[in-house]
Amino acid sequence: MQNESERQELRRKIKEAVAAQNASAAVQHGRSLLAASSKPSDVVFCASAFTSIDDSLTNQLRAKRLKTYIVRSITIEPILPFLTTESVLSNYVLDLHVGGYGSYVDEMLNPQSALAKFNPDLIFVLLNLEDIAGRLPDLCADGIGDSVDAEIEEALARTAQLLRSFRSGNSARILFQGCLVPDLTSLGDIGEANMPRSLTNALHRLNQKLAALCNTISDCVFFDVDHLAARHGRAHWRDNRMFLASRLPVAANVFSLFARGLVRSYSTLFRAPRKVLCTDLDNTLWGGVLGEEGPEGIATGSAFPGNCFLDYQKYLRQLSSRGILLAIVSKNNEADVREAFQTRAADLGLTLDNFVATKINWNEKSSSLRELAEELSLGLDSFVFVDDSPVECEAVRQQLPEIAVIEVPHQEPWRLVDLLSAQSFFDAAVVTDDDVNRLNEYKAQAQRTELANSAGSRDEFLASLDIVCTFVSALDAPLARSVQLLAKTNQFNLTTRRHSASEVQQFASSRGGQAVAIRVRDRFGDAGVVGLALARNLGDSCIIDSLLLSCRVIGRGIETALLAHLAENAIKTGARYLRGEFIPTKKNAPCADFYPDHGFVRGPAREASPESLFYQLDLTAAALTSPRWLTLEGNEPNELSASAVVTS
Amino acid sequence: MNRMSSQQVPSSLRDILADILEISPEEVTPETGVGTIENWDSFRHLQAILAIEGEYGVQFDPSRIAELTTVSLIQAELAAKGAAL
Repeated sequence: MQNESERQELRRKIKEAVAAQNASAAVQHGRSLLAASSKPSDVVFCASAFTSIDDSLTNQLRAKRLKTYIVRSITIEPILPFLTTESVLSNYVLDLHVGGYGSYVDEMLNPQSALAKFNPDLIFVLLNLEDIAGRLPDLCADGIGDSVDAEIEEALARTAQLLRSFRSGNSARILFQGCLVPDLTSLGDIGEANMPRSLTNALHRLNQKLAALCNTISDCVFFDVDHLAARHGRAHWRDNRMFLASRLPVAANVFSLFARGLVRSYSTLFRAPRKVLCTDLDNTLWGGVLGEEGPEGIATGSAFPGNCFLDYQKYLRQLSSRGILLAIVSKNNEADVREAFQTRAADLGLTLDNFVATKINWNEKSSSLRELAEELSLGLDSFVFVDDSPVECEAVRQQLPEIAVIEVPHQEPWRLVDLLSAQSFFDAAVVTDDDVNRLNEYKAQAQRTELANSAGSRDEFLASLDIVCTFVSALDAPLARSVQLLAKTNQFNLTTRRHSASEVQQFASSRGGQAVAIRVRDRFGDAGVVGLALARNLGDSCIIDSLLLSCRVIGRGIETALLAHLAENAIKTGARYLRGEFIPTKKNAPCADFYPDHGFVRGPAREASPESLFYQLDLTAAALTSPRWLTLEGNEPNELSASAVVTS
Repeated sequence: MNRMSSQQVPSSLRDILADILEISPEEVTPETGVGTIENWDSFRHLQAILAIEGEYGVQFDPSRIAELTTVSLIQAELAAKGAAL
């Protein structure tokens, strides 16, 4: 640190905060001290301060507390204070336990090991190349060795066995560190680069395979230490003196980088990435002020400095393609902005269609952001806000502290993309099809909300959505989707029975049995198969075993349509009564009154299932009808080929 | 025999050791060492050595590191390396 008195002042403030058990002040001053000083003594000082207020960190800042076990064949102890401080700065408190040096096989495989008994939330597996693929350096020495590939496969198989066996008996999340590519070898730089079986090339292949392996193991993330080393400089990453003397894996002056890399990796196992990036326009998405310079005057396109902004636009488009939602929050005239996107389309990397929603007006940005959160039904803690104005940034930081704020570097637009990619808030170890499709789904959601705000009555609003419900057999939903709905639906799920595929098939094939799925679309989009009901006849009654609906479509009368559909089929099969059951869980309160709301009468409790509430409806006395704003399609008795009724 | 005082240890060295060993700077005297401070185990020792190397821009010979078991021995080794204390 430049200024010793400033350093002492921060240390004094940290001590005060610790004495007062003021977690937020301790972290704030700790962050300042560590940002300015990389002295190990300051790190140990902060680690010890943080550790002494660990309960306050979890209680006051809701830091995530993780029992963490380090399986290792390296010396990790001097790095632990760095791991502690970096974790606290990311709002984790690690209760660390370090395993025996090199006893990782027993620890991971023996059900009576110290590791198994520790019952960790998280384990780090930090092994040396010698442990993972010790023969590779020799086998690769000539750059053409034909046993290299076999050794890679063997190393992979050993690691797979280690991780899979561990996983079969333990649910702790796993961080597995890959191999570090040595900087210097006997083959030399040219040989390493050009020969297919050089150590460098072999280790790159091994690391790729190890990463793919980690991907197949649940809750396991691959920590690419080699990438980190390459970014910061391989030549300085390891101090051979200390590696050979003490098995210290990294040089003392990169302890904090190494610890930060570990934290960033394991974070993806515990924290969902943020979902929305809200960008300002003037001097952020493009250079200059649109209102002053007009659409032709703003800087964007292939020439400097417009290409700085074009880079940022492309970066946003890349985020969007893996499911990060983009929104505009800008103080501008909306018509001007639309004109700019039109006339400068050739110079812009984005169109307005790339944005899930826009708030282009003269309102406070914090209220625009609040509205966006509401319209998208997303928490503010999943938002990132990018703006060039320090005043706007500070206002958002103060009023909406959950939002991550990125201030565009003043007069240095070329730094914006680097600044953004250095952040961990969009980190994810996997991207699913659902993520990729998120933009369309949320666009539809935002439009529905906007319509709800403008439409008068609820019925009018629902009618304006043009909702179409299509009934299909649960076997053709397809069946895998039906089973997934049974497994995942919690809120609107009357009995929460997690039936298997074969059980669903039994409902479909039994006499008087029903296995109905419902598919829903409206003028904004197709929500897909979102509901399911299973029923079978018993005597004069049709018994509803399961009825559930994805929470995305609750409140539009679709549940009523599903019930009415069951009733209609029940009457056709000669049933007089429709009987329902509600089993309360921690999560399904939203459907607690479903049966009474539809005219069902509460029946007597049963000893065999004391939790359940039973209801019945006399089908000869009351008629169930679907809400009139729904258009119904399809007519599945199960014998009817459902493919005929699935709408395009 | 007079007890040695922390005043006899250069303040920069004293402060580093106090931080790493989690003791107060006054407790760091020339004769403080592996045997006198409970916290001073082999890992704190390695940590202290690394911190001291970083602070003074020196590198100790690994085979000597284990022998630097008291403050005065560390101080002497630093002086031999020409570190400005």
